[in-house]
Amino acid sequence: MTDKNNKIPFDEDNYTHNINRNNERKLDRRGFMKTLVGAAGVFAVSSLPWGAVAAKELVGLGVKKYPKQKIVDVKAISVGDAVDFHFPGEHDSAILIRLSENKYVAYQNACTHLRCPVFWQKEEGDLLCTCHHGKFDVETGAPTAGPPRRPLPEIYVKVENDTVYAVGVKRYEA
Amino acid sequence: MKKRLYLELENCIGCRSCLAACTQCGGHEERNRNYVYDVNPLVNRQTMPLMCLHCVNPACARSCPAQAIQIHETGAVLSALVEKCIGCQNCTIACPYGIPKFDTEQNLMYKCDLCIDRTKDGSPPMCASVCPSNTLQWLTDEEIEAKQKQFNLDNGKWVTSMPYLEGETNVRVNLPGILQGVTKLF
Repeated sequence: MTDKNNKIPFDEDNYTHNINRNNERKLDRRGFMKTLVGAAGVFAVSSLPWGAVAAKELVGLGVKKYPKQKIVDVKAISVGDAVDFHFPGEHDSAILIRLSENKYVAYQNACTHLRCPVFWQKEEGDLLCTCHHGKFDVETGAPTAGPPRRPLPEIYVKVENDTVYAVGVKRYEA
Repeated sequence: MKKRLYLELENCIGCRSCLAACTQCGGHEERNRNYVYDVNPLVNRQTMPLMCLHCVNPACARSCPAQAIQIHETGAVLSALVEKCIGCQNCTIACPYGIPKFDTEQNLMYKCDLCIDRTKDGSPPMCASVCPSNTLQWLTDEEIEAKQKQFNLDNGKWVTSMPYLEGETNVRVNLPGILQGVTKLF
């Protein structure tokens, strides 16, 4: 009878078991979880601008328009030859290769390894960076050998009135 | 001036005023949280009110896994916090007096909170303020002392039942002589 545990309340001022109104914590477990979820929500919302940027890129709203620029006359470049030019800016050196009668490819010719110029090897039929012997596939600009890991940025070309024009830069994905 | 709820059970006339008052007490959402029992059903007409006895060491609050039942600084054991109660009904099982009620629709426990918004400011709980027969009274400890002198108690302690089930309570109960085996002097 007298050994009953009625000498209460025990000291219960803690986080995990507190039944006293006055010891109510500012941050209890539920509040902590709410804070956690709220923070996650804030992070989620704050990432939306990046989503917008990505969407803009993917939809193609971010494509820069460059004025078309004459590269060379068709008569001045024979099949299998290449010619250097600058596009879109005057410091962005690029290379145009005539692969067949009607097929032209153009790339910005700074090697993606360490920005050395990339040359057209007519005999081997590939693009070669002489600094470290990086090679690129002429059809796609993809690296095939050596240190470079990323493709050469492609330039869109168009033939009008027996003249080859550079009209734009392909969106670079690497 | 701390006052207590004091139950003088043998005064009860079974009018259920306390239930009606509890239903209308602010914050009780039209639900009464106390009980009126027949003491000897089908034998005689004696009834007794029973509301939460506000244990100093409340079994309901101890059993609550979410600490939804809190003890107010006045000693009142509050009803389950709506935002914490998980509806497990542990408290209804733990309470030796069967006080906590359970709302199956809202999945929440609710119980007498001694009308805490009234009693924290010193006004009596709704049931005590309407009781027409002085079964429920709102008294200071001195007044309870004076009442105590009218009775012979077997161990001089005021506990809710003898031998007691649970321990000390904030509500003082005058146990009728029928249950206690002592006679009332007057």
